[in-house]
Amino acid sequence: MPKANLLLKIMLAAVFSLLINVIFFNVYFITVFFVLTLLILVSYLLFNLNKNESQAREINTDINDSKIDNTLLRHSFNEITELLDETITIITTELDRASTLVKDAVGGVSNSFIELQALNAQQQVMISSLISQHNSIGDEDGTTLAHFVQSSGETLDDFVKVIINTSKQSLETMSFTDEMVKQFDGIFNLLEQVENLASQTNLLALNAAIEAARAGEAGRGFAVVANEVRSLSVNSTELNEDIRNEINNAKITIAKLRQSVEVMASADMTSTLEAKDDVGVMMNHVEQVNSKTAEGIDELLTLTPQIESAVSTGVRLLQFEDLTFQTLNSLKEELQYITMVSEEFKQFNQLPFNRDAEHLQIIANKAKELKSTLSHANENRTVMQSSMDEGEIELF
Amino acid sequence: MSIKQQISESNNQVIIAIENNFDFSLHQHFREAYSHCNTPKTDFILDLSHTEYMDSSALGMILLLKDHADNLGGQVIIKKPSDTVNKILEIAQFHRLVTIEK
Repeated sequence: MPKANLLLKIMLAAVFSLLINVIFFNVYFITVFFVLTLLILVSYLLFNLNKNESQAREINTDINDSKIDNTLLRHSFNEITELLDETITIITTELDRASTLVKDAVGGVSNSFIELQALNAQQQVMISSLISQHNSIGDEDGTTLAHFVQSSGETLDDFVKVIINTSKQSLETMSFTDEMVKQFDGIFNLLEQVENLASQTNLLALNAAIEAARAGEAGRGFAVVANEVRSLSVNSTELNEDIRNEINNAKITIAKLRQSVEVMASADMTSTLEAKDDVGVMMNHVEQVNSKTAEGIDELLTLTPQIESAVSTGVRLLQFEDLTFQTLNSLKEELQYITMVSEEFKQFNQLPFNRDAEHLQIIANKAKELKSTLSHANENRTVMQSSMDEGEIELF
Repeated sequence: MSIKQQISESNNQVIIAIENNFDFSLHQHFREAYSHCNTPKTDFILDLSHTEYMDSSALGMILLLKDHADNLGGQVIIKKPSDTVNKILEIAQFHRLVTIEK
């Protein structure tokens, strides 16, 4: 309190001057000064007390005081009401726009998620068909490429076996043929003996003819017999020659047979060797392709559920649409409080001047009531779900 | 002659060595190299260390030799085949039929 300080200073100055003047002035003067100082002090205290009382009284009395300019009040209220109305219109429009935007965006995102899920399912089907196709390239009996290559190898082995057995059989045939040729040589020996017999018979016939000639007329009949025997031996020699020729022909045929059997028995194995190598290379190749394809399919199979779960997370996060709409709706609802206040102001402006104070009080009460309703509603709202992580939502 | 035959009576062994080409032209000599040996429990050792080429008739001849050895209760042992020859023996799956010593 600066005034009190000033007074204290004045009082101190007074007391000081009193002490000085005690010596120089008379008692009357001192008394007058003292009384004056006391008066100033009392009057200040009284003034302060008065001021506090009048401030306290101002708040109480203002309500009943109708001295406010009613026209100015109505003008102010009118301005406020117009501002409120315009604000309400703008906020409502913006809220509607936000709702539409969110709805469109969420619709688009949700559609793309559904599409993504459908594509994922399609991909899975394709992978499955790839797997089954991979396992059964070829006919319906499930012939795999690996199986084909393996059976090719087996066929090749069988082929080699057949070739070797043919060779073996041919060689056996060959040894039988050699035996047969030896037997032919035996037949030639026998034929030689038969030829010897024939030539001896011929000599014998010749001798008989000579003896018949010496016997003269008596041996004439015997000469005929000797001649017949000779012609028989000649015939026999001719027959022998024929048999020899036939057997020689057979020998030529056997030589041809030998050549055929040789061709049959001697198969070159080089091409078979190469084919066998090719089958081995092919088998390795098929195995590599198989393992790589299997790896790829495994990776694809692990990707599919990952995509699925990512999509589910996305879909769950789309709950924010609901939450946003709730927030927007509550904002819209809360706008009604401003509307109500605005309405109150409008009603006030239409009432006669003399009851303004009373109506202002009503407005104040109404505002208080609305405020408590509003804060109550807000408490309820904060209890509601505020996080998107809570709960699971399937596709809608 | 590209066939050498060696008979060791004490060990009941007949050693047949083939040089250069082992093909059909040898069939008669090859058969003669073993067909006279009829001692039971005889082992036939086929030395292929100097054989460069072999066709299917050679494989047929070896099978006939094996039949002969089986009849006598002996066995056929192929010794030191070259890489080419060994490949052919593998394709023919001879390692299941006869002993192959490398």
